Amino acid sequence: MAEKLRNITFAQAIRTALRAEMKRDERVILFGEDVGYYGGVYGATVGLQKEFGEDRVRDTPISEMAIGGVAVGAALAGYRPVAEIMYCDFLAHASDAIVNNAAKWRYMSGGQFALPIVFRSPGGGGAGYAAQHSQSLEAWFAHIPGLKVVAPSLPRDARGLLKAAIRDDNPVVFLEHKAHYTFKGEVPVEEEVIPLGVAEVKRAGNDVTVVSWSKTLTFALEAAETLAAEGIDTEVIDPRTLQPLDIEAILASIGKTRHLVVAHEAVQFGGLGGEIVAQVAERALDSLKRPPVRVAAPFVPIPYSEPMELRVIPQVADIVAGVRRSLG
Amino acid sequence: MAAKDREQLLHFYEDMLRIRFFEEKVRDVLLPGKLFRGSSHLAIGQEAVAVGAIHALREDDLVVSTHRGHGHAMAKGLDPRSMFAEVMGRKTGCCRGKGGSMHLSDAGLGFVGENPVVGSNTPMAAGLALAAKLEGSDRLVAAFFGEGALNTGAFHEAANLAALWQLPVLFLCEDNLYAISVPLERSSALQDLERRAEAYGIQGQRVNGMRVMEVYEAVSRVAQETRERSVPSYLVFDTYRFEGHHTSDKQTYRTRDEALEEFRKRDPIHILEFEMIDDHTVPIPLTIEYRDRIRAEIDEAFEQALQEPWPEADEALAGAYAEGGE
Repeated sequence: MAEKLRNITFAQAIRTALRAEMKRDERVILFGEDVGYYGGVYGATVGLQKEFGEDRVRDTPISEMAIGGVAVGAALAGYRPVAEIMYCDFLAHASDAIVNNAAKWRYMSGGQFALPIVFRSPGGGGAGYAAQHSQSLEAWFAHIPGLKVVAPSLPRDARGLLKAAIRDDNPVVFLEHKAHYTFKGEVPVEEEVIPLGVAEVKRAGNDVTVVSWSKTLTFALEAAETLAAEGIDTEVIDPRTLQPLDIEAILASIGKTRHLVVAHEAVQFGGLGGEIVAQVAERALDSLKRPPVRVAAPFVPIPYSEPMELRVIPQVADIVAGVRRSLG
Repeated sequence: MAAKDREQLLHFYEDMLRIRFFEEKVRDVLLPGKLFRGSSHLAIGQEAVAVGAIHALREDDLVVSTHRGHGHAMAKGLDPRSMFAEVMGRKTGCCRGKGGSMHLSDAGLGFVGENPVVGSNTPMAAGLALAAKLEGSDRLVAAFFGEGALNTGAFHEAANLAALWQLPVLFLCEDNLYAISVPLERSSALQDLERRAEAYGIQGQRVNGMRVMEVYEAVSRVAQETRERSVPSYLVFDTYRFEGHHTSDKQTYRTRDEALEEFRKRDPIHILEFEMIDDHTVPIPLTIEYRDRIRAEIDEAFEQALQEPWPEADEALAGAYAEGGE
């Protein structure tokens, strides 16, 4: 029987997941800057304060350290907070709570505590916000034991993964792409929880594997169509969760295609493309016919002016070129 | 003095001695014996604050502490054996050897834990208090911190939020005059530390942190208000650490005479003993009996912990994540 689907935006997908989880479990509480009355600067929490009340959906002052710390405290006391940090760049402020407290309290207490927290935060560029509101910082957090990191690409993933993140007993950094909130996609009408740590083949192909996530994944899918016209059959894999990383899915794909491209918006140096390439090299170097290719941002901040921003953030053409390079 | 007061005073005395002897053991036996790693931050001199404050709380109230938290932990009920075991990295420590001296915690006792990142525990306290408020509980949360934390952004964000959201947090500042080496007059623009939360409408009070009964009475007073009105309170305790910032501190920023003079004049245990003896609450031989008994108890806890097993090295690889969820 065919799934019943409906078409919603990425922002609606986030809101739908938050609403459903708040209805399901009264311990789920939301707070952050402008999330209450205003409904979030990207509209991801519209109407939730009205529906669930000010106790469960709270506007906070511009105090990211406090937002992070309150999330940790509330979680330690048995709640399941979802804290929104308005831009992922401001996670720098909240990072003491996230990195030093949330990520480590369970481990350093010998397992006495659980920290079921979701830190939602929009990242990414392409919208002309320049250097301090456009970064892609998933590698910072994927590097921290104790955290999980999710970077959904399509509305369906956003909805299903956010539900799983809220139900998870660990702190999850949930990175949404700010230039993607109005992106539309189909989601099943029925409830769907997508487990963390499971990749999805977004497009099957035989010639080359492109691993990509967040908004860049949609560029990879477009690139695959361009390449198909040239007779190149591209497989596109979306890890969806970056920590833990479903490396087995990537290895399985490479076993078939023998070529690897990793495309992401974060800067290349120290980005997760390097980690994926390294794991593939350690475990399946012989599968690769050609050197792997990373398509990522050059080592500069995000510039303001459009031609420069387009130069820095990987575009469809960059991925097409990367795939050609990988095939030799 | 009423028998009840006498009993309470002796209870405080016992708890203060237990903390003191625990920390003296760390200083005099564990340190030279190289029985712990890194460093340990002793609160010798600050026992009256931990004991007076925590005894003024209810059992279900929560406590967050700092790197200098052995006293808070013990006053909240942690067992000296499990604390020694943790400090010595043993499998049977309260955190299974994963935390050490700076990260003691006990969920069951409401000791949420030490947080050695200065100031970092104050927003956590606000979150714990928010949970209490949402549950409709009148439990409150006590956050201990040193005067150094007053200069962190985290404290100010937390104080503002606690006042704004009317959260039941006791902000308990232990002013021991030094932030590692930097004295108060070179770290705080305002010397009247009790005024440092005024901007948020929180009126602080200064309390003699060397007299356990004064600490107890002050905390009892504000705890009642915090509990009944669900508003934060803020106290600053004058105290002093007679030891260095940590066990490897050479203390070049103060003279040995200063510390000795402070000790001679202000040791909270001596103060309590003199008071109890002077007003004939307690005869001298009884204080000796207490000292001998508690010292023997600490010796035994240490000897036991010393025999306890080390964790398997591979236990390091487990426990970063909780399994599953809802």
